[in-house]
Amino acid sequence: MSAEPSDGASQDVRAAVLEVLQTFNKTGVTLQDGTRFTEDLNFDSLLVMEFIAALEDRLDISVPLNVLPDIETVGQLVVATEQIVREEHG
Amino acid sequence: MADLFDRFESLRARRDGLVGDGGHDPFQVEMDEVLSQTEAMIEGRRTILAGTNNYLGLTFAPESLKAAHDALDAAGTGTTGSRVANGTYSGHKALEHALCSFLGKEHAIVFSTGYLANLSVLSTLVGPDDYILMDADCHASIYDGVRMGDAQIIRFKHNDAADLDKRLARLAKKPGNKLIVIEGIYSMLGDKAPLDEIVAVKKKYDDVYLLSDEAHSLGVLGRYGRGLTEEVDLEDDVDFIVGTFSKSVGTVGGFCVSSHPQFDLLRLACRPYIFTASLPPSVVASAKTSLELVEKGGALRKRLMRNAERLHSGLSALGFTLGGDVSPVVAVVAPDVEIGVAFWRGLIDGGIYVNLALPPATPQNFTLLRCSLCAAHTTEQVDRIIEVFAEVADTLGMLPKQPKKKAALG
Repeated sequence: MSAEPSDGASQDVRAAVLEVLQTFNKTGVTLQDGTRFTEDLNFDSLLVMEFIAALEDRLDISVPLNVLPDIETVGQLVVATEQIVREEHG
Repeated sequence: MADLFDRFESLRARRDGLVGDGGHDPFQVEMDEVLSQTEAMIEGRRTILAGTNNYLGLTFAPESLKAAHDALDAAGTGTTGSRVANGTYSGHKALEHALCSFLGKEHAIVFSTGYLANLSVLSTLVGPDDYILMDADCHASIYDGVRMGDAQIIRFKHNDAADLDKRLARLAKKPGNKLIVIEGIYSMLGDKAPLDEIVAVKKKYDDVYLLSDEAHSLGVLGRYGRGLTEEVDLEDDVDFIVGTFSKSVGTVGGFCVSSHPQFDLLRLACRPYIFTASLPPSVVASAKTSLELVEKGGALRKRLMRNAERLHSGLSALGFTLGGDVSPVVAVVAPDVEIGVAFWRGLIDGGIYVNLALPPATPQNFTLLRCSLCAAHTTEQVDRIIEVFAEVADTLGMLPKQPKKKAALG
């Protein structure tokens, strides 16, 4: 799944997601759209929780747990985050 | 050909890793005979039970046994159906009235288990435009309940009112109700919610409700055993209280109480209430009688806390890392899963039954040897628990550090 940035705002969201995610990336895997949280980054439920909380703080948004089951890859998270940012900050 | 159970492969591998050598399976303990509130025969050995959540020891209270026997003879072994479809017995209503008067709320609904109480209320009370703000360390029944519903789910950091505040502030401009969900005492580590701070945060915002699950604090905290809300005198600031009969009350069942005028509508909306068989008369009768004993149980609470302090300080002095403050849940943190399992087996071999709690079901992915105390434990039993903990730690060479000795100089 690709998440082509359409404008400057979504570029910023992508950069923020990658920046926060990099601080939780203990595997050294290069972060790409297709990078999977469970298989490639070894995220467990505790780490997901900490990462999402950090992302919420970084972008001042609320990420409901409801969206998480549909997100397997970094690209999918970028898309979902962009949508939340658009809804919350116009 | 693919087998239906292939999807459990990682679970099987993990189980076999734990019990593959033929040792005791921590999750399939058989109590061949229950001797009392505090002892059972396990593998032919007289074993001290220190993991039953039977905080007040009411499972053999003579008054409750008699009430259960009488109800069993009068109304039969079961209701054979749900309250909504097949009828309510007078005992169910009497129990709900007793809960209202004990907890000082206008309305009460009894559910068939504590798990079902959370499933019912949390899946139904809030809708797609609403938000649930739950403490990250909440019980599985709370996680399952909110997942079954449609509300947006936001977790806040465990026992961190400032983090809750930050999250509520982000949601303040959004329409929809917000429901904060916390627990009086958290089951794994035995720590209490900072209810005063949470209520203060709640009051800063509009359309915010508060639900407290008092499963482990009912009967344990407060002068009359009404839980954390009573202990800190904030009963009117909590909109919904959920609880269970399977811990201090000594039987099975769950409930929710509230003074919201429309609360009874939940009876027609909660699927886990509508489509589950109701509690049998004997259980209902013993719950009602045991609730009276809980209210009058000041002496039991004192004994329980005395036991909790003795076990906590005893294990602490030996150098064990404990999960929380002094409470009837005393959780010893094991360094890893392997040592945790070996330790648990050592305790069983030494005649002590505690709960082994493993990640991911534990806070911070701890491996825990979780003890829960009972008012009926004798001082000798508590001392024996401490003694066996010390012996097993010695055998495994894991006593974290030697008891602190006074330095010779200075």
